[in-house]
Amino acid sequence: MGKLERRLDTLQTVELAEGMEIHLRIAGPFLRLYAYLLDLVVMIAAVILIWIVIGISSFALGGNVAVGLINLALFVLLWFYPVFFEVSRKGATPGKMVLGLRVVNEAGGTLTFGASMVRNFVRIVEMIFPFLPLFSFLNPRFQRLGDLAAGSLVVYTRDRQDPVYLGPPALDSIPVNVALTREERAAIISFRHRSGNWSEARRAELGNHLNSLTGQAGSKGVATIVGMAHWLEDHS
Amino acid sequence: MNRQEFEQRKSAEWSNLDLRIKGLEGRGPAVEPEKIPGMFRRVCHDLALAQYRMYGSLICDRLNSLSIRGYRLIHRSKGGFGECSIQFVFNTFPNSLRREWKLFVVSSLVFWIPFFLMWWSASLEIAWVQAILGPEMMMQVEGMYGKDADTVEYLRGEHGANFQMFTHYIKNNVGIDFKLFAGGILYGIGTLFFLVFNGLYIGAVFGYVDYAGDPEKLLTFVAGHSSFELLGMIVVGMAGLKVGFALLAPGRLSRAQSLTQAGRYALPLLIGGALMTGLAAVVEGFWSAQAISGNVKYGVGIFFWVLHLVYFLFVGRGQRGA
Repeated sequence: MGKLERRLDTLQTVELAEGMEIHLRIAGPFLRLYAYLLDLVVMIAAVILIWIVIGISSFALGGNVAVGLINLALFVLLWFYPVFFEVSRKGATPGKMVLGLRVVNEAGGTLTFGASMVRNFVRIVEMIFPFLPLFSFLNPRFQRLGDLAAGSLVVYTRDRQDPVYLGPPALDSIPVNVALTREERAAIISFRHRSGNWSEARRAELGNHLNSLTGQAGSKGVATIVGMAHWLEDHS
Repeated sequence: MNRQEFEQRKSAEWSNLDLRIKGLEGRGPAVEPEKIPGMFRRVCHDLALAQYRMYGSLICDRLNSLSIRGYRLIHRSKGGFGECSIQFVFNTFPNSLRREWKLFVVSSLVFWIPFFLMWWSASLEIAWVQAILGPEMMMQVEGMYGKDADTVEYLRGEHGANFQMFTHYIKNNVGIDFKLFAGGILYGIGTLFFLVFNGLYIGAVFGYVDYAGDPEKLLTFVAGHSSFELLGMIVVGMAGLKVGFALLAPGRLSRAQSLTQAGRYALPLLIGGALMTGLAAVVEGFWSAQAISGNVKYGVGIFFWVLHLVYFLFVGRGQRGA
């Protein structure tokens, strides 16, 4: 089995109890920073709203009660705003929802209340020392400290954005006479499936890497690869 | 069977499952959920097949996201809130306290030693206490517990004052708890800092009241909620130290793995300690300032301390630690 040592993609493979593997698509730090800034805006708006609503109702409630209600509301908002959203059905704060992200546990499921608390309370330290979130760049799954402590990941929920256009149909089926590893066969097949996204020149450029297998260059080589992919799909 | 055949034969069922899951996710018409687990398992099987046979990203991506959504629905941990709470209070929390009894000792010492040192220092040399409190806090303490200060009961006479103080304690003290826990991520230094600082500060208040005020007023006020508040802080300190030690001495695990594991063990301590602090705010807001004789207040305070002792030592013992 030719398994590559280190993959270049951000897919996180998880094996589930059902006996199969799923691939989670991990979101990077930049997108998460945007999501955080969006959430900050939402929170500021919520604080202003709370002040206005309770400020107006203070005439009926009395000053002390109003101050108390503002205390409670701010406490809940500051500490539990992300927690409530992350354990909800959407699994994401509004900022993350807008960007199509979701917080999950390491098996891809929704976080528990406690895990979400851990994840978000650690953020207070990361706000005091703003260099700490940078460590998520060093982690292959882009986990910040809070994610590590809670065992959580931030993943994409929306489907892959680049639509898959099938490449040109195979003109004929070309048998492959060389023993290939599974990875290599998968690469040839996915070349066919993804080649619809590329220009003619790009196809030829990538196809030239398979010179040794096809024995041809340029668009002829591409046609051969597509033919081989067709044969492989029929014979696997 | 090749790819097209596979897709043709299964596609209808996949769309069907997609529709049902959408319904349960609240993005479509309501559906009957009975059939979903079976269909989910068949889709899992299809995904494994498609991956093994390399049917390409078109099919695999579709099945992958379908499986993830199905998994989320089926493996949702939706235990009843009531049952979970009872389980937590009578089993999980006290058992994890006893399991981490060494951390309890450490956390307690880190708080109590600075506390008593500071309190005691006031009888020798008041300058340390004054340096820690600062002029504003000293004035505030004198206003509340000074020899000729208005009693707390009088200050709380206004409508809603009790409620306001209760929320103030929730916001401040539970907030401090959360910071105490978060500080653990800095190899425990943050937690140690907050524990020592709180010990020094509270000790300084006691010392200053001894020096310049009326200790009776302070002691009757704090008697009721002292056990909840101080023990709650110490318990949250344990959670922070747990995380800190996991980073300092990860043993055979990597630091990241060790942190994840410690997070799981620290969680009951964090929640339990924060709940205790919340209860302290209730007592402090609605009981501690009542105009009741000092002896009753001392009695209630001692009762709560004994209650904590019994709870920590005996509740949930013998049950399987969760």
